[in-house]
Amino acid sequence: MESNTNPTPDKPVIQSILAEHKKQIKIGLTMCAHCSLCAESCFLYMSHEGDPQYMPSYKFLHSVGRLYKKKGDVSRAQLETMRDLVFENCVLCTRCYCPMGIDIPALITLGRRICRSQNLFRNYDR
Amino acid sequence: MNLTIIYNLIQGPLVWLSLTVFIAGIAFQTWRLTKMMQTNVNDRRIPEKELIAPKALSKKENFLRKLFFLKLSVLGVNPLVVFISLIFHLCLLITPIFVTAHAVLLEKFFGIGWLSWFSWSPQTTHFTTGIVLACGFFFVVRRVIIRRVRAITTIYDFMMLALALTPFLTGYLAHEGMGDYSSMIAIHILSGELMLILIPFSKFFHMIFFFLSRFTIVNEYSLGAPKRSWQF
Ligand code: HEM
Ligand code: HEM
Ligand code: HEM
Ligand code: SF4
Ligand code: SF4
Repeated sequence: MESNTNPTPDKPVIQSILAEHKKQIKIGLTMCAHCSLCAESCFLYMSHEGDPQYMPSYKFLHSVGRLYKKKGDVSRAQLETMRDLVFENCVLCTRCYCPMGIDIPALITLGRRICRSQNLFRNYDR
Repeated sequence: MNLTIIYNLIQGPLVWLSLTVFIAGIAFQTWRLTKMMQTNVNDRRIPEKELIAPKALSKKENFLRKLFFLKLSVLGVNPLVVFISLIFHLCLLITPIFVTAHAVLLEKFFGIGWLSWFSWSPQTTHFTTGIVLACGFFFVVRRVIIRRVRAITTIYDFMMLALALTPFLTGYLAHEGMGDYSSMIAIHILSGELMLILIPFSKFFHMIFFFLSRFTIVNEYSLGAPKRSWQF
């Protein structure tokens, strides 16, 4: 498996995925009021004693949101943290509710897609 | 620098400019967002009647069901935040329209006289202004002390909150004669204009998006009979 891992993220690939979904990401980032009302709608948040890292908005703001703001310029370690957010902390059950109507699972899916493009997947054997 | 020129500028042309950007910006952003949607007749929201046979539920059951639904909604899960948010937004939207000084200025500069018929007394505006400020204070405190809100808070959130509150604070202080009246009014008008200009292009646009996403995008929480979905 080690041969599969890129030491440095492939920036152009990340940027092209971000560019392809620019509008979607921008709507989500601009419209999110950072109100945290989506927290309780996620069963994973509820079952982790209110750990903010399981809050739906946290999961997209600190993955795709961060990648977008940094224009894909992130380190491998940062990408691995994002991998944990989008793969381990969310099961894409689409049950989260945002009063603004932001499609949170769609944004988390996008985070997964970017991670996959950098050979980062769910840690099935963790 | 001649101060009167600055006052005339921010009380005249800049008011026009900010109101134009506000209205044209809302129209433009609504159009832009609508263009980003596709009409998708296959994704139909199934009316509740088709999901639950109307006869199967008695009046009492129906009521309990609605109550249960409410309990599961954000209102039931976060009653305090939703309640404070509700009165914050109500006062924030309504107060400026009923401030006597606004009506007087509108009549003086734009010849719109009828608004002053509805203007509130200073006591009433003071009261609703106070509510906006108190709720704003609640939001600031919540942002600092609640862990999950802090986790997604950036400096931008505090700036936008401050921008939303400044016209209310300075309008109040000016009326009460605290501080230098003309500079207080200058800050008041400038922050009000900045806020109007930023509404279409910042997170304040949730004022439109909130309804746009509910009434045009089909999903289980949508209202009406929307037939669109985001097209990316
Ligand atoms: C007899 C065997 C299996 C049954 C009856 C079964 C049944 C299901 C059901 C009912 C779901 C839920 C679908 C949904 O909620 O949308 C599901 C999801 C899933 N299953 Fe299985 N499954 C089986 C075997 C497997 C195996 C062997 C794998 C992986 C190697 C697998 C991977 C998944 C994944 C990844 C999902 C989530 C898909 C998603 O949410 O998009 N399943 N499965
Ligand atoms: C854009 C141009 C604006 C002008 C020229 C303007 C002008 C004024 C003036 C002259 C006063 C009266 C102060 C006094 O009574 O002595 C006032 C009060 C007030 N303004 Fe504005 N304003 C503007 C925008 C706004 C905006 C955008 C808001 C809010 C969103 C706002 C909210 C208020 C409030 C709440 C008061 C009353 C405060 C109180 O009496 O407690 N104003 N404004
Ligand atoms: C009809 C129009 C509007 C609706 C339906 C609406 C709805 C909402 C909702 C659902 C939230 C998130 C929940 C919360 O934290 O309270 C929110 C937050 C917020 N809204 Fe509005 N809004 C509207 C107009 C406005 C306007 C015109 C402004 C200011 C110019 C504004 C300023 C804010 C601010 C500052 C927050 C964040 C509060 C925080 O820091 O937690 N809203 N709004
Ligand atoms: S409920 Fe929606 S607007 Fe509020 S923090 Fe969550 S994603 Fe952002
Ligand atoms: S899709 Fe992910 S974030 Fe949304 S409720 Fe399910 S697990 Fe939580």
